[in-house]
Amino acid sequence: MDLPSALQKLSIYRSRNTRASQETFDKGLLVLKGNGLKKLGDEGWAFLEQLALAAIDVGRLDIADRCLQLLTEKFPGSPRVDCLNGIRKEVTESPEAALAYYNQLLEADPVNVAFWKRKISVLRRIGRIDEAVDELIELLDTFYTDVEGWLELADIYSSCHQYTSSLQSLSHVLLLAPQNPFYVLRFAETAYTAGDVPLAIKSFLNVIDMADSDEDAPIEQVPSGFQVRAWLGIKLCSRRLLQERRLPSPSQTPVPEHLQLIDELATERLKTVYAGRDKSDKEAHEILEWLSRG
Amino acid sequence: MVSYTVSHQAYVKIILHSAKYPHKLVNGVLLGKRVGSDQVAIDDAVPLLHNWTSLSPMMEIGLDLASGYAESKGLHVVGYYQASERVGEVALAPVGERMASKISEAFPEAIALVVDGQQVGSESAALMPFVAASGTSWRPVSSSPPPFTLGSTFSLVSEKSPTRAVALIRESRLHEKFGDFDDHLEDVSIDWLRNEACNDPVP
Repeated sequence: MDLPSALQKLSIYRSRNTRASQETFDKGLLVLKGNGLKKLGDEGWAFLEQLALAAIDVGRLDIADRCLQLLTEKFPGSPRVDCLNGIRKEVTESPEAALAYYNQLLEADPVNVAFWKRKISVLRRIGRIDEAVDELIELLDTFYTDVEGWLELADIYSSCHQYTSSLQSLSHVLLLAPQNPFYVLRFAETAYTAGDVPLAIKSFLNVIDMADSDEDAPIEQVPSGFQVRAWLGIKLCSRRLLQERRLPSPSQTPVPEHLQLIDELATERLKTVYAGRDKSDKEAHEILEWLSRG
Repeated sequence: MVSYTVSHQAYVKIILHSAKYPHKLVNGVLLGKRVGSDQVAIDDAVPLLHNWTSLSPMMEIGLDLASGYAESKGLHVVGYYQASERVGEVALAPVGERMASKISEAFPEAIALVVDGQQVGSESAALMPFVAASGTSWRPVSSSPPPFTLGSTFSLVSEKSPTRAVALIRESRLHEKFGDFDDHLEDVSIDWLRNEACNDPVP
């Protein structure tokens, strides 16, 4: 791989927040060794931060330290670099030492979201879940619009089987970022797990609605990506509701009226995804079988 | 006492899955069959999720599909596996306990295998077996001799599997070709049930 394409790929990873650590590291090393840093100009610093994180992920602390040194020289006392240094400490030092480091930083700058989140992440990692939740709730009290924080809280709750609390956190996410179908999808899957099938099917249907309202998309397009997931969710819910219409709904969501039609539509949509794959691709066989089970 | 053997293919797939998403919890199911009255042979592994592993809808569908696939091969779903996002953590997550309990309803001798991240680079099996304790709780096997050592009720079919699995990751980067049900849902051409590109001949 040559330098320009490596640089381009790395820039895409940065803008999308992709955590492809090995690829980032391999390409980043190429840039670092190929003297690409100078070509990057001001973007070079964001690149060093990216490479440092990837290097920590793949265990090449020598490279991480080199990036950190360059960054510290350029930006002495920068909170962003302090945070990176903290992440570096988390690898080789005890969690208690990392917590002490973040606490010290927070004393000087009590509302620094980055330090605060690192602290919460360490608490979660060492199993001090209650403290992590308390801190996170306090953080969200101060920074209500922090979507990432609400998603983390939802994740902690669901990993502890508290799906109703998880749903509540996700409803804040939906208020703050109503346009994102992935959040609606996650809400739907959480509702299903919480035992609220009517709310789940309504939310899965919302995901499809959001995809269909994309005006540039051709009508009757074959579903792809998250739509496949949503249609599978719809099929799963409609099948259960057809067997037992009175499934409980703690949120008191009504069951959609034309359930039978929705069920048939889900089957038809999923068949278009897998049709044609049937002969060339063995993969389709099991799904088509699953759909035909009614 | 029931004894369990883990095939080369199953071992390699579990380790490849954990290597593909090192910063995430990953899970999947084990396929196998009874041999005689007191042995379970784990022949294959089917990778399920790496996203939203605490949520059940896609897990339910994945399990259904994997069961259908197992049946067509004359096998059963005989267990569950999981690798944690943290290297030092060898505990079965609550979701894992639920899944494993569900699997044991249809296959009473079901077990759960959890990847021991600290052992992956070594020559011994990086797996910690869990068995049903009471109700839906599961406990690690604390037998003597320890699992996957000589004379234990858990063994690898090929003792070269651990070294080979690491070589496949380091040298061939085979984990990059590996796909699970989550991957499949983003790109339906990914063959998560078979992962044929990752079938490695027994060393």
